[in-house]
Amino acid sequence: MEILTLLIIPVITATACVFIKKHSISKYVSIAGSFIAFVYNIFLNYNVYTYHTLSGLNSFFYLDALSILSTQIVTLVGFAAALYSAGYMEAELHEGVFREKKLRWYYFLFHMFIFTMLLVCVSNNLGIMWVAIEATTLATTFLVGFYNKKPHQEAAWKYIIICTVGITLALFGVILTYHSAKGVIGEIGYALNWSELITVADKFEPHLIRLAFLFILIGYGTKAGLAPMHTWLPDAHSQAPSPISALFSGVLLNCSLYGIIRFHILTSKCIGPDYSGTLLMIFGLISVLVSVPFILIQKDYKRLLAFSSIEHIGIIALGFGFGGMYGVYGAGLHAFNHAVVKSLLFFCSGNLFLKYKTREIENIKGAIKTIPITAVISIIAIFAITGTPPFNIFVSEFMVLADGFSSGSVLSIVFSSLLVIGIVLIFIGFINNMFKMIFGSPTTDIPRGEVSKFTIAAMLFLLFFVLVVSIYVPPVLNEILHNIYDIVRNA
Amino acid sequence: MTEQVIVSSRTIDILAVLMLMMTIVLVGTSRLRTSIWAYAIRSFLLTWVSGLIAYFSGIHHIFIATGISLALKVIVIPGFLFYIVNKTKVKTEVESVINYTLSLLISCGLILIAYYSMQSIIKFENAFMGHCLPVSLAITLLGFFVMIIRKKAITQILGLLAMEDGLFFAALSTSYGMPLIVELGVFFDILVSVIIMGIYVYRIKETFDSIDTDSLRELKE
Repeated sequence: MEILTLLIIPVITATACVFIKKHSISKYVSIAGSFIAFVYNIFLNYNVYTYHTLSGLNSFFYLDALSILSTQIVTLVGFAAALYSAGYMEAELHEGVFREKKLRWYYFLFHMFIFTMLLVCVSNNLGIMWVAIEATTLATTFLVGFYNKKPHQEAAWKYIIICTVGITLALFGVILTYHSAKGVIGEIGYALNWSELITVADKFEPHLIRLAFLFILIGYGTKAGLAPMHTWLPDAHSQAPSPISALFSGVLLNCSLYGIIRFHILTSKCIGPDYSGTLLMIFGLISVLVSVPFILIQKDYKRLLAFSSIEHIGIIALGFGFGGMYGVYGAGLHAFNHAVVKSLLFFCSGNLFLKYKTREIENIKGAIKTIPITAVISIIAIFAITGTPPFNIFVSEFMVLADGFSSGSVLSIVFSSLLVIGIVLIFIGFINNMFKMIFGSPTTDIPRGEVSKFTIAAMLFLLFFVLVVSIYVPPVLNEILHNIYDIVRNA
Repeated sequence: MTEQVIVSSRTIDILAVLMLMMTIVLVGTSRLRTSIWAYAIRSFLLTWVSGLIAYFSGIHHIFIATGISLALKVIVIPGFLFYIVNKTKVKTEVESVINYTLSLLISCGLILIAYYSMQSIIKFENAFMGHCLPVSLAITLLGFFVMIIRKKAITQILGLLAMEDGLFFAALSTSYGMPLIVELGVFFDILVSVIIMGIYVYRIKETFDSIDTDSLRELKE
């Protein structure tokens, strides 16, 4: 019942937003809805903290530490993005970029997007999880193509085609898993429930499960932005409105990776962690390395942030691939850290875009003088995202690396060394490109001052979490991350 | 095995081959209308298989899935695609890098790959659906292949639908379909994704004055 409530909140908000014509009202409805979801999820957090797992509706829903971390990220970034949307979309509305009528659908899809992502995280049935992951694509295609000009349509088309093909391949993985589970469990209705599968996974046929994991990794990996299936990602992230880019980067990628990790655990239980772990490591490392050159030479700051997301998803995959205590703990923490920091950066980029009306790095100078608050927050966020101490991403990247170097296998050590090189190069690329926009003197025709109070509020909200986790990991988060390790290891 | 089951098992084999042929039509034709007809016929054959399985296994939920499949894949989606073709007034596919003869040859290769890879991986305990898994993988691969080599946006949608048909067939042949709630979800997703893609085909036609995906080349580094 508790879980159902969590899912109903965004649906109600979405429906309400369709019927409210004035943006001056609907923005508050949207903020309130996502805030309730956020607070409610914290309450659920404590439930999982006490009971470890929750299930509901005839075990249709299932909530453990792994899923609660994902829903926490969804609702947290979802609230921040709703807050940010209020300011950002209103500013664009005043400029006449689109008509007020269109905003109703923006908010509807926005909250349906949140709903589908929550459904991914809480469904016990792996088939429903597949349906939900595909549904996230469907909910967001019109958001990617929101401005409906040539580049936006191109991005939306690529997005829906590439992601749907990927996810279709993943369906084959689900079918194979179902087939092997039916051989063991027999009963039809429950044979795809994760809580059932995990108890019998060791009896599955090894070659079937191997093939299944491969299809899942390629399929959901497409949606998670793992290289080389990432080609839709920079286009979609750069063409979508900034609050949506933040949700894409911070949350959507995590949700797809969540799907992969579920199957990773099943596969590990069946044939040991080496096979799926090594595959995760390989795709993770490729993602990090692929993003390096594009970050170094990037001309468009939103694309730069998109490639950085590919890098960080790679790091999370590497952490789960290494599979030790620090690796898994670090990967979970990294998912959280990356979500807050990257969303924060996309918000900064949105403010830059509102002010300068361009996405070219070269055409922006002196942000520190025109939009000082955004600029200062950006500086912190840039240092955080590149893994500079003392910020939160440094902590989680360090844990992942420590696990890689200490695991003892040659492969992990080689991969960790390459990861260090990648991180250093990306640091150079980031500092080089982003600081060009912040410092210098602005061209005279740019008016001074921040565009909207809402955007600043959303950024301060996220900044709070960045700074808190930089100082210490809150006990609830710590407990959840330990539980995630237990879930992964007991497999 | 009773006489009746053997007969229907043969029927399913024949239907599977016909489905594969309809997918090859998709690879080999340049006319969009023919491709959509091929899709509709293949969906009808798939529904037929699903109906046979429902009849012989006596599992209720397969009947429901069959009914929905008939309505959706045989009537609604092809109808919608015809509507889009009429609206955009695009009738034929353009010659791509890989011409039609060569692509047919490659298709043969893909079918062989599907057959051999599946035979080594899955031991067929289920003689009722003996040769279906390789065929379903072949249909999926051919759909994927069509998406890569063809340029019109509508043909890409048809390729995707072929992939999905192949997977449905795989689910039917390995485990009599997925649980009903999952199948309903998958049907819903397919319907919505085809509608969204159709809308985008129309929009792209309006803005770019063509539905060649080659014209979508603005976004790159």
